[in-house]
Amino acid sequence: MKAGSFFALALAASTAFAGSARAEEPFKIGVSVGLTGYAAAVDRSWRDGLDVAVDYVNAHGGVLGRKLELVVEDNKSEPQEAVTVYRKMISSDHVGIFISGCVSAGNFAAAPFVVRAKIPMMLCSILPPQPEQAAWAYSFLAPPRFEVEKRYEYLKNHTKIRTVGVLYDPSPYANFQKTLAVNAAPEFGIAVPVVEQYKQDDADFSTQISKMESADAKAVIKIGLGGSTLTTAKNIKQLGLNTLLLGSVDDLAVLKPAGDTLGSQFLFVATPSQVYDALPQGALKSEIGRFLPLWKAKQGERDPGWAGKAWDAVMVTVEAIQAAKSFDGEKIRAAVETLPPHQGTGGVYNFSPTVHQGITVNPFLLGTFEGGKVVVKD
Amino acid sequence: MLDPVFLAQTILNGLSVGCIYGLIGIGFCVIYNASGIVNFAQGAFVMMGGMITHVLMQQHLPLIPSALLAIIVVALAGVVIERIVVRPLWDRKATMFVMILATLAAQIVIERLTLMLVGDQPKSIAVFTDLPPIKLAGVAIGYQTLWIMGTSLVLIAALGLFFQKTLVGRAMRACAINREAAALQGIVVSRMLAMSFALSAALGAIAGILVTPTQFTAFNVGTPFAISGFIAAIVGGFGRPFGAFLGGLLLGLAQALAVFGLGSGLKNMAALSVLLIFLFLRPSGILGSAK
Repeated sequence: MKAGSFFALALAASTAFAGSARAEEPFKIGVSVGLTGYAAAVDRSWRDGLDVAVDYVNAHGGVLGRKLELVVEDNKSEPQEAVTVYRKMISSDHVGIFISGCVSAGNFAAAPFVVRAKIPMMLCSILPPQPEQAAWAYSFLAPPRFEVEKRYEYLKNHTKIRTVGVLYDPSPYANFQKTLAVNAAPEFGIAVPVVEQYKQDDADFSTQISKMESADAKAVIKIGLGGSTLTTAKNIKQLGLNTLLLGSVDDLAVLKPAGDTLGSQFLFVATPSQVYDALPQGALKSEIGRFLPLWKAKQGERDPGWAGKAWDAVMVTVEAIQAAKSFDGEKIRAAVETLPPHQGTGGVYNFSPTVHQGITVNPFLLGTFEGGKVVVKD
Repeated sequence: MLDPVFLAQTILNGLSVGCIYGLIGIGFCVIYNASGIVNFAQGAFVMMGGMITHVLMQQHLPLIPSALLAIIVVALAGVVIERIVVRPLWDRKATMFVMILATLAAQIVIERLTLMLVGDQPKSIAVFTDLPPIKLAGVAIGYQTLWIMGTSLVLIAALGLFFQKTLVGRAMRACAINREAAALQGIVVSRMLAMSFALSAALGAIAGILVTPTQFTAFNVGTPFAISGFIAAIVGGFGRPFGAFLGGLLLGLAQALAVFGLGSGLKNMAALSVLLIFLFLRPSGILGSAK
């Protein structure tokens, strides 16, 4: 054999081998989550839900012959940290898609260069405000107005309370919801005379709550995650008020102590999987039923709410890759927008070129704690 | 129109939080006086006080033994930090900046250890007296507020007696005035340093135990408390324990009145601006700096 022919053969063989090795390389999913800081409770659940979903997909052969691999980075619930970890996952880990947590400010801050890298973002947060960035982002959150409307509906239909105060944290998500809460209130015949912001690490909200009481507000619409809900509950009790506290969607581990403190004065927006037993039979209960045993096997009785949404994000991603028959970011993105409606654990996701917030029908329920257990109130 | 009940309630709320800031501020002063070190691990002591009490109560230990054990454990933790973090640097005559950095590192280590041991979910303890608040002319005075204020006042009085009447207290004061002269008088300054860490850690733990029933505790709640306590110590006149307590009250009150008048979005900005103006007028703080 001539030397030239030998080298050509060797090159062809090595190229074929390299191609096969590439095909077997796992498809990397970048995950920017606040494993510490104010968003930790939610984002840890999100991370653990992704873990369950990826294990499930890999156990069923992966996607297009490739396994999925999570690259998880802690953004410490801080936007600056999020920028750092997003950059690292793009340049060092070469992730093909992001399925990131609920630190909206961090996702917003990273969006410009994630878009430049043409990597789709599946998010637990709201969408970035710039249209060119939102074009690459898909939110698995229900529209923020659903959380607000569920609480207002309850007040309108089940109570005589028509004056409320809004207490919100400075995150973009909470800010956005606050604006919605103020604007939507008149539709429900509700007045919002006091709107107060807090910082997640503030030690006391007694003065904000007293201000609401002084303005005759009989309910507090609390917008924000984490232990601040417990502080609010304790402060209401400390002040001896009959004020209702209506909390945001959050981890049950955070919500339960608030329920223990205020009893029936505390209500919260519940995701379907948080109240699985109370759901009617149907596609929603069936999908939660597929996820829940896998979750419980790994995590016991931990709140499945946010983890279920993470499961949904992985399942939509897998469907999109299969529909696109490709791992290319642009093709995955195009496929997400043409998928048929996907029944997830958090509701039905119906993405399209113009709808990037997949849930379009309010899936929430209003929950409270009775005897230490979650019950549906409406 | 001004609502006098709301104003009175605001003042009470501010003073209650201010007591906590004040106790933490005193912790800063005690260590500073004995060593010239600003201990930024002070916030970790506050967190540990509430957290250890919570953990012990989860094991069905009653409040008082849980709280006492927590105070002892945190005081010992203070001594450990002094022995393994501060003392080696002190012996090598490290600069104050290095010491500050070391205490900050200690704070981060304690936070991470707590995260690993008890997780990141918020924890709390029940109020000491689970009764509806006393209503006085429309103002609600919660029993936990009374516990916070009452305990703070008792501690201030006890600290006053400790520094005036006991040998150790007077030795600490001697170190605060002039460490070299105190050493020449036979006072073992390094021992005073260890004791000051134990005392300030115990004060931080008490603050944590008092405040946790009104909010929550988690591995990362210490830093904001440390910042507030540090501000309280500066406003009071750094190194003046009673001044730090007054500084804490002023900070708590300023924050609450800022919420009252301007809204909570501007709370810290307004409160700190007022305190900054105060320090422009009186740079050495309320009682004047100890150094």
